[in-house]
Amino acid sequence: MEKLLIANRGEIVVRIARTARRMGMDTVGVFAEPDSNALHVDSVDEAVALGGSTPAESYLRGDLIVDAARCAGADAIHPGYGFLAENADFAASVIAAGITWVGPTPEQISLLGDKVAAKEAAVAAGVPTAPVWPVAPGSIPADITFPALVKAAAGGGGRGMRVVESAAELFDAIDSASREAESAFGDGTVFVEPYITHSRHIEVQIMGDSHGNVIHLGERDCSVQRRNQKVIEESPAPKLDSELRRILLDGAISLARHVGYQNAGTVEFLVGADGFVNFLEVNTRLQVEHPVTEMVTGLDLVELQLRVAGGEELPLEQSDVRLTGHAVEVRVVAEDPARGWIPSSGEITAFEFPLELRVDSGVRSGSVISGDYDSLLAKAIAHGQSREQAIASLAKGLKSSVVGGVQTNVAATIAVLQEHDFASGSASISYLDDHPEVLQAGPDAPDRLRGFAAAVMVDQIRDRASDHQWGFVAAGWRNLRTQGQRSVWLDQSGTEWHAELITQRDGTLDLMVGSWPTPSDDGSMSPDGRIRLRLRLLGTDPAEGLTPRTIALEVDGLRTVHSVIVSARSDTESSIVIGSPFGQTTWLAKTRFEDHESAAVGAGPVSPLPGTVIAVHVGIGDQVIEGEALMVVEAMKMEHQILAATAATVTEVRFSTGDKVEAGDLLISLEARIDDSGQE
Amino acid sequence: MTVLRSKLDTGSEAYAENLAAMQTMWDEVAAALESVPAIGGQRYVDRHHKRGKMLVRERIEALIDPYTPFLELSPLAAWGTDDPVGAGVANGIGIVNGTEVAITGSDMTYKGGSANPATLDKGSRFNEIVTRNRLPLIGLTESAGADLTRQADIFVRGGGGFKRLTQLSKEGIPTISAVFGPSTAGGAYNPGMSEYTVFVEGRARAYLGGPPLVKMAIDEDVDEETLGGAEMHSRVSGLSDYLATDEMDALRMVRDIVGHLNWNKRGPGPSEMPDDPLYDPAELMGSASADVKVPFDVREILARTLDGSRFEEFKPLYGDKLVCGWGSICGFPVGILGNNGILFSEESNKGAQFIQLCNRTNTPLVFFQNITGFMVGTAAEQGGIIKNGAKLINAVSNSEVPHFVMMVGASYGAGNYGMSGRAYDPRFIFSWPNHRIAVMGPKQLAGVMEIIARSSAAAKGREIDEEELAGQSAFLEAAVEDQSTALFATGRVWDDGIIHPADTRVVLGMAISVAHGAEVKGATEFGTWRH
Repeated sequence: MEKLLIANRGEIVVRIARTARRMGMDTVGVFAEPDSNALHVDSVDEAVALGGSTPAESYLRGDLIVDAARCAGADAIHPGYGFLAENADFAASVIAAGITWVGPTPEQISLLGDKVAAKEAAVAAGVPTAPVWPVAPGSIPADITFPALVKAAAGGGGRGMRVVESAAELFDAIDSASREAESAFGDGTVFVEPYITHSRHIEVQIMGDSHGNVIHLGERDCSVQRRNQKVIEESPAPKLDSELRRILLDGAISLARHVGYQNAGTVEFLVGADGFVNFLEVNTRLQVEHPVTEMVTGLDLVELQLRVAGGEELPLEQSDVRLTGHAVEVRVVAEDPARGWIPSSGEITAFEFPLELRVDSGVRSGSVISGDYDSLLAKAIAHGQSREQAIASLAKGLKSSVVGGVQTNVAATIAVLQEHDFASGSASISYLDDHPEVLQAGPDAPDRLRGFAAAVMVDQIRDRASDHQWGFVAAGWRNLRTQGQRSVWLDQSGTEWHAELITQRDGTLDLMVGSWPTPSDDGSMSPDGRIRLRLRLLGTDPAEGLTPRTIALEVDGLRTVHSVIVSARSDTESSIVIGSPFGQTTWLAKTRFEDHESAAVGAGPVSPLPGTVIAVHVGIGDQVIEGEALMVVEAMKMEHQILAATAATVTEVRFSTGDKVEAGDLLISLEARIDDSGQE
Repeated sequence: MTVLRSKLDTGSEAYAENLAAMQTMWDEVAAALESVPAIGGQRYVDRHHKRGKMLVRERIEALIDPYTPFLELSPLAAWGTDDPVGAGVANGIGIVNGTEVAITGSDMTYKGGSANPATLDKGSRFNEIVTRNRLPLIGLTESAGADLTRQADIFVRGGGGFKRLTQLSKEGIPTISAVFGPSTAGGAYNPGMSEYTVFVEGRARAYLGGPPLVKMAIDEDVDEETLGGAEMHSRVSGLSDYLATDEMDALRMVRDIVGHLNWNKRGPGPSEMPDDPLYDPAELMGSASADVKVPFDVREILARTLDGSRFEEFKPLYGDKLVCGWGSICGFPVGILGNNGILFSEESNKGAQFIQLCNRTNTPLVFFQNITGFMVGTAAEQGGIIKNGAKLINAVSNSEVPHFVMMVGASYGAGNYGMSGRAYDPRFIFSWPNHRIAVMGPKQLAGVMEIIARSSAAAKGREIDEEELAGQSAFLEAAVEDQSTALFATGRVWDDGIIHPADTRVVLGMAISVAHGAEVKGATEFGTWRH
């Protein structure tokens, strides 16, 4: 094998190409049109255009990929994971074309890809497997114990899967799961198996060659999942007693031997709290989470795959496999955990991870995330002598990461890593359902303050850069100073933040946050109780220009890096969204000058950002109470609840659902209502 | 272009001493500056606030573009006089709607914003700056008119201010007046002579004579609003073009007016790379000698002022006590003249030639003055120091490119003239705190007077009372010393302000940028040269 075509996209292409190049192989990539300048295309020596923009038009087109391999002179194809990785027909067509297939044989893929057949093989190999109730078309199996799980025989990824609590729900669950499986995989066959609540997802990495050798590379615990998709994986599995571990490892090897398994594969199990083990399925490919196994074994799984695919014997025996320390991986995805993991799309404006983490990534600053593909941005992996150390190191690394432009799950994963149940090693697949609070993880008060400092600095930098007369002078320079540069901002909740920024002659800046002293009735000034931050601009990327993508600041001696997700400026409005690993903070600068015309039609909440009205909860004449939701504006991929500041009567609803609104637009006119106590 | 290499040893004892001395002098200036905004007394500041009104500098802060600089001019005018420090008016240059504008506003907390003689001196210099540099002018008007107790010192020459307002208009320089309070009599002509007027509802009032005077003159009973209120002037008399709801609204309107001026500067603007100097401008605090009698190399200032510390020196081997050459400041190309000692014939001739060259190439000139005068003595006189010095003064006088002067040390005698002193119409002239200025050094002046006294006594055959003469000399030296300080000079509006030495580069940058508001064109003709 001299030239390897990698039939995939994103991080796994970059990952596979790295090993292939190290082994001296030429690499060939493929790409759909939206990926023509993607990182994965740059990571290979040459790349072949597949055309099309959706997966069905490109990465799922086996015929085009085999043609591409022929055309580029590739003598091997690595399918990565997903797309055609577990497509037996594709594997067969590759082999038929005289090209080496990096993966198990088409027969093995076919056998293990059918979950019912795989279960039968597992039973035959003596692997602990719960009984399966097959579902014949038009019939309902009897004697089922609940809760139970309806599953598609083909496919995976949680699709065509239903948890059933009672017999009453069974028919509908089978019906809908079957329909979903039919549309997703072209095969509506479903079956029923026992559902083990609060079980853990533990899987065994296996590796076989064409000479009959099979070894395992330890297990992984992938229990932290959302909608059956893994979020955090680790190796070895925590709190797994040695007897249970032996059962899993032996079972995996036994099944692999039984089918004569070749190349890399994963045998997945569910393990109940009581030690009940149920074989789930075999994934006949390299897994997304393979890095944690690499980190604890010191092996390069892609190298092993390529060598056995080329006909070599496995270079090591089971007794040579040594596990060292503990590794934990987080999947960084462009999704918003706080809003049901809805995908977030847009251009990545900043993308930085600290060097101490292993980061397998397929994107970079400037990459565009679209809804057409998987939301995985990167895998961040830490290795430590102990599990505690690995977790701490990963959390630390994630805290200093910067991903701008899209919503991510970084804040939520940091919260998981620091949460007690996870830390103690007792997370089950219900973990995220049991701990909804981690999904709401966001910036705390000090984070928000730093985010505010970053927003004020970005505002200042942008305004100075647009001063075509005296742009060479520091912000707010005075030879006779009476006050600093004052601005008033609204945060996401509509709370006012007052800023006063003073540039010192040494280039540092004092930022005072809080209401500035105002004259009281007797004319004297109120006491100054503001928070004072000493800021130093350490750098921006790019170094010059109107809108930095990232800003590095020293805040009271502490270096912090923020991404600038949005920086919009009009004549009167300025809105800035600052990103940090703890989440985003949104800041809307209030104009210095009141709009007396709009004051004439009424006062009320204004739109915090340019966006679209997605819901209107009130109508003219409605009596609203303080804090009542009036409207929802979607902006910057976030839903902003527009709340009533005080008890009031709605006098005008200025926008309807679907309307575009600008930052600062008066959304609803309210007339403050005097309640019975005479208070406003 | 050659890059200057600093020889300043910032670890040396001399540097530390200079730094400490400069810091002490700056602290005195800073304290004086700090006193200005509330010079009328806290009671009046509080009263002003209580009425819901903004102080003049608060109005300026709210008027100019966010985060932009503001260069206040003559902030310490009237220092050391009986008039309030700052002369009861805030004058300066800032950015409004992206446009460099001149802003002037009276400080209502001192005698109701009434004008005193120092106000006129400060205003007169401000007007030169506005006119020569073609700056749109914004007046934040609120004034009780003249300080009636000082009317004799104000009335006659004070009229010139109104004349200049309409002359600015004639020159095509926009004038905007926002009226925030009563503007009586002369004060009423501020809006009256301006191109645009904004009146604040319920606050602004303008009339030639207030209700008491109307009662006195024609026995009419009338209230202030009817007589000269904002509503009346907006709806009836037409003196007010824009009626503002409140002070902030008025400032917003002024910003809008500036926005529609379609203002274009006439100079070419910056053309060089505006990179920072290689050396920290903060080191300027210790680069000048604390004692003006101790010379220092002006190139140390240039290394901390010029873009990239780049300096192409002219005639370095000839007349080396006057350093001449080319560089740029914040992107604006300039010719530099800096003193490294006394002016001899060679220095004078070199300077005259350099000024002519810069006029040929339309290059503005920056003078760093640290001069104790022209050389005296038989050799100098026989070498033609008068006619050669005259050449330098001829060149300076007739040069038409903008001049900027930075007083970084001594300024004694005719050296002040040869280096484009205040009387030679520099566009801007700023001083460092260590600046000393007089017809000659205080010690020399006292010594000269002593010699004259001795020869006069000798001619009359009188005995000298040594003790009395020593006392007279000491008194004179101390008096001249006091009248030579930077604060004394700035108090008399001999400059446009004392600046922190570390701000030298940015202040010059702003000043040169402002000067590019007018055409930047050199002279082709000079006075007859005496060869």
